[in-house]
Amino acid sequence: MICENCKQRPATITVTQMKNGKKITRHYCDVCNKQMDHFHLNLDSEEGSNAMQKLFANWFGTPSWSVQSVPINNTQTKVPNDSCSQCGMTYRQFLEEGKFNCPTCYETFKEQLPQVLKRLHNGATEHIGKVPGSVNQSYQMKRQIEALRQDMKSAVEAERFEDAAHIRDQVRELEKKLQTGGEESDEH
Amino acid sequence: MTSIDHFLKSKPPLWMRGDVDYGDIIMSTRIRLARNLNGFRFPRAFSDEEASKIDKMVSNAVMDGENSLGIPFSYFSLHDMPAIQRQVLVEKHLISPQLANKTKFGSILVSEDETISIMINEEDHIRIQCLQPGLQLDKAYQLADEVDRLLEKNLPYAFDDSFGYLTSCPTNTGTGLRASVMMHLPALTVTNQMGPLINTMVRLGMVVRGIYGEGTEAVGNYYQFSNQITLGKPEEDIILDLQSVAEQIVQKEIGARRALLEHASIAVSDRLNRSLGVLRYARILSSEEAANCLSNVRLGIDLGLIPSIPDKVLNECMLIMQPGFLQQHAGTTLQANERDVYRASIIREKLQLNDTDSN
Repeated sequence: MICENCKQRPATITVTQMKNGKKITRHYCDVCNKQMDHFHLNLDSEEGSNAMQKLFANWFGTPSWSVQSVPINNTQTKVPNDSCSQCGMTYRQFLEEGKFNCPTCYETFKEQLPQVLKRLHNGATEHIGKVPGSVNQSYQMKRQIEALRQDMKSAVEAERFEDAAHIRDQVRELEKKLQTGGEESDEH
Repeated sequence: MTSIDHFLKSKPPLWMRGDVDYGDIIMSTRIRLARNLNGFRFPRAFSDEEASKIDKMVSNAVMDGENSLGIPFSYFSLHDMPAIQRQVLVEKHLISPQLANKTKFGSILVSEDETISIMINEEDHIRIQCLQPGLQLDKAYQLADEVDRLLEKNLPYAFDDSFGYLTSCPTNTGTGLRASVMMHLPALTVTNQMGPLINTMVRLGMVVRGIYGEGTEAVGNYYQFSNQITLGKPEEDIILDLQSVAEQIVQKEIGARRALLEHASIAVSDRLNRSLGVLRYARILSSEEAANCLSNVRLGIDLGLIPSIPDKVLNECMLIMQPGFLQQHAGTTLQANERDVYRASIIREKLQLNDTDSN
């Protein structure tokens, strides 16, 4: 068999890739194969996106018999230099290792994270579902305050000022509770 | 607190009981919740001090909370545990292979009936795991949720309003929930339908793995299906999706079994009964051959082609044929070739018809 790339030398190396669940087999000679460098991790180059795909495929935990390549647009090359205040992890380190070192990393890299999460969780970037009890309370209160503010607005619009004043008192009371009870600030 | 010996017995645990919904095809259901504590680095980066502090905090939260949950737990550190014992716990699915290797700071809290285990300092600080026989995702989740609520009362969970439960690996972020079902799919396997099925599953956001979870291969026609996505979907939806996928696969397997019977009844019967013959008379059995033969015998029983062998006996064989259990049973370490001989003799004994069969 002749190398598929140079079409001159005999093919000595077989490269098998999984693409969209289909197996693609290519045959190259030793010289061409060395130039292609299929497995080298280089974040800035075209090949790099290939390596990134492999990395993300690993995160997916997909079994070896069905690794699919995930289309990735290569627009995100900006790697921030900040490191996590709790553990010192850098974003580059995270990209290489695929795992965080501490909970604070999520806060540190919150700008970049949605990109990563989208890819891993089918486009999702926000948690929906269970909330720990302690968080739940303040979360509920915040929701209640928001709802009351809406009520207050409509009361003012309808010129029911007495009602509006009453609701305002309720909001103030809840806000006070939120500040003393939960540690969370109510900024939004 | 129960001694470790209780958990090392070869008596099949509660979650292996087959007399539940879809019990002949779905062997077990597992729910896993990943949780971490605020203010501590994850196990991949934490200090010795952090590790032992977390260990104390989590074990205290459970051991002191026994009354509110009403389930007695036992605590074991993997530090002084002999390798064979650790392997037995993996083979019983009480701990992950990853935790078994974390002998420095890994530990486990396990409920007496072996349906709940809490792994401490695996990839995350806390991994709550709940096992049930058959397809019982709701029940397993309910139990895991109760344990989670007990822990959250006493521990500062790492949680973010928008990202949810924070985990070491971003593939678990959000709910931290991995729901999985272990299915016995011999007919789909033998008719070459697993490849396309696995591809479809991956497209549906499901992961297919081998019997011991991540990074393991399918053995004896057992496959573990689980959700891949943990973010942007409430727990109930994740569970419902897996439930419907599992039910559909069951129907596919039933269809494939029916087709096998219709088209090649005698050939199938021959193949399955031969496997029983191998188990009953072989003198050397590798774990792979034993697993495949046991899978065939189970299929034979399900199809009515093999006169009934109690479920319990088959489950015992499945447990005890594994390397850790074998050595635990033998009371000594065995080389691979010694294990194969010992495995054959134990399975022969369990599946014996009467005394004259054995030499």
